[in-house]
Amino acid sequence: MAQTLAVETHGLTKRYSTGVLAVNDLTLLVKTGEVYGFLGPNGAGKTTTLRLLSGLLHPTAGSATVAGAAPGTPASLARLGAMVETPAFYPYLSGRDNLRVVARYSSVSKSRIEPVLKQVDLADRARHKFRTYSTGMKQRLGVAAALLKDPDLLILDEPTSGLDPQGTVEMRALIGDIRREGRTVLLSSHLLNEVELICDRVGVIAKGKLVAEGTVDELRARSGGTSLLVRATPLDKAQRLVESFVGSGVRVIDGVLAISVDPSQAAAINRRLVSEGIDVSELRVSEQSLEALFLQLTETPAEGPKP
Amino acid sequence: MIASLRGESLKSRKRWANWILFGILLLTLLAFGYVLTYVILKNPPRNFESRVPASVLKRQVFPENLLPNVLSSISTIGAAIMIILGSLSTASEYGWLTVQTILIQKPGRVAVLAGKLLNLAIITLLIGIVALGSAALTSYLLVTIDGSTSSFPPATTVLKGFGALWLELAVWTAFGMFLGIAFRSTAAAIGGGLTYLFVGEALAAQLLRDTPVFKEILKFLPGVNGGAVNASFGLTFRNPNAGTQLVDAARGSITLLVYLVLFTVLALLIFQRRDVAGS
Repeated sequence: MAQTLAVETHGLTKRYSTGVLAVNDLTLLVKTGEVYGFLGPNGAGKTTTLRLLSGLLHPTAGSATVAGAAPGTPASLARLGAMVETPAFYPYLSGRDNLRVVARYSSVSKSRIEPVLKQVDLADRARHKFRTYSTGMKQRLGVAAALLKDPDLLILDEPTSGLDPQGTVEMRALIGDIRREGRTVLLSSHLLNEVELICDRVGVIAKGKLVAEGTVDELRARSGGTSLLVRATPLDKAQRLVESFVGSGVRVIDGVLAISVDPSQAAAINRRLVSEGIDVSELRVSEQSLEALFLQLTETPAEGPKP
Repeated sequence: MIASLRGESLKSRKRWANWILFGILLLTLLAFGYVLTYVILKNPPRNFESRVPASVLKRQVFPENLLPNVLSSISTIGAAIMIILGSLSTASEYGWLTVQTILIQKPGRVAVLAGKLLNLAIITLLIGIVALGSAALTSYLLVTIDGSTSSFPPATTVLKGFGALWLELAVWTAFGMFLGIAFRSTAAAIGGGLTYLFVGEALAAQLLRDTPVFKEILKFLPGVNGGAVNASFGLTFRNPNAGTQLVDAARGSITLLVYLVLFTVLALLIFQRRDVAGS
């Protein structure tokens, strides 16, 4: 791809006829060749955004360029492979025939069908009717259809949704393969560990707005980084003591003190607690979990770092 | 559009529902329009009463009456089946959400629907050819079995009749297709279409055709206009049971063409402008 941005939106807005503002003034830049994770809770506007980028929805305001052209135009669609919301195919056709239909629509040679079936590990079941497929097989067929055009940009909406643990691992491996082929991938998810494992950059969306963007490490650093976890008895005395010399930033979570301080102070804190007759049974450093960060960014009350 | 047409033709060919509908249409035409009619009129029951003798009436299944018999036999059941066919072709895409699968392939929305329309036009053409052909063969067999003589109408008349048959089938298919897109539900599209056909057209047209106000409205209904076109291909014998037509054949043909264009344009407009919002 010649351009450096695979997806570019400016002020993209979608208000449904019901009055619901699903996407609000969204500016999103996805670089060519990266795996971009679009993260947000259910109802945040992820799928609506992907539908706008695929040309399935018309925006209320704003503009978008997808694979170098306006969404939904033949020029954009020719370089885009997408699976939005759920893999939707003809139940009375086999997996292979469904791909034949897609290939015909896309003006792609049918010789592409067998390679993509093998790539998603579905060649053995390709002759069976789509309606007999498991959720995992349907997801894989959806990815196969998206890959059929040999696209520069792949949009995958919750690709591991409904998959069992093994299917999830296989899907992640497949996305890893796709990334190594040099394609741009924009995937949405509400699974934090998923984006952490496979995405180069993450955009967090809440109530239709992009509330944070960056690498996972950048987002963690922005939210306060690490904290110290201390299991001590008696807990209330320990809390009062720590607050007396650390100040604010001390919380009790599941019977453990979570202290927002530099981990280098761990030894000093331990000495003070022991010298005051408090038993310390556990003391360790905990990184701010992406989950806590996610909850913080999406304005849901945060629980703090997980002990 | 060609890409879309190729995709559509594969889907249509592999869909059993389409073949079943076609089978019902053919079976109804040949069984009720030909074989049973012939058997009953060849051996009429003792209480058979008609202003036309059964020996004359049975000639409606002979080659000389190929066009009026096919057109009248197919008019109602054909309309119903084509409404179902058209509805299935579009509404199913919404039910299965496959509309989004085809819209994120290469062709734009207009090309996708144009391919679908062209595919349905071709299917309608093929149904017309097979229906007329099988009816011709059946009528030939029946007249041979009967030991009578009868000849097919001239080729130009057959072509005109085939044109009328295709036009009527196409109008009802386009109606079903439009309903499928408008309702985005197979049940609603088929239910709405058949209700209109059997209540709005068949029942109302019979009950209200002598009421001056409604008579003017009836002149604009597709079924009434189709009936006028069919009536222009008259039987070779005078049938006093045949009703009078509210419009002439020329006006009927033009009205049907207007409906064909109208349903197509409305379907295109809705399909192009409306969001595909998913489940």
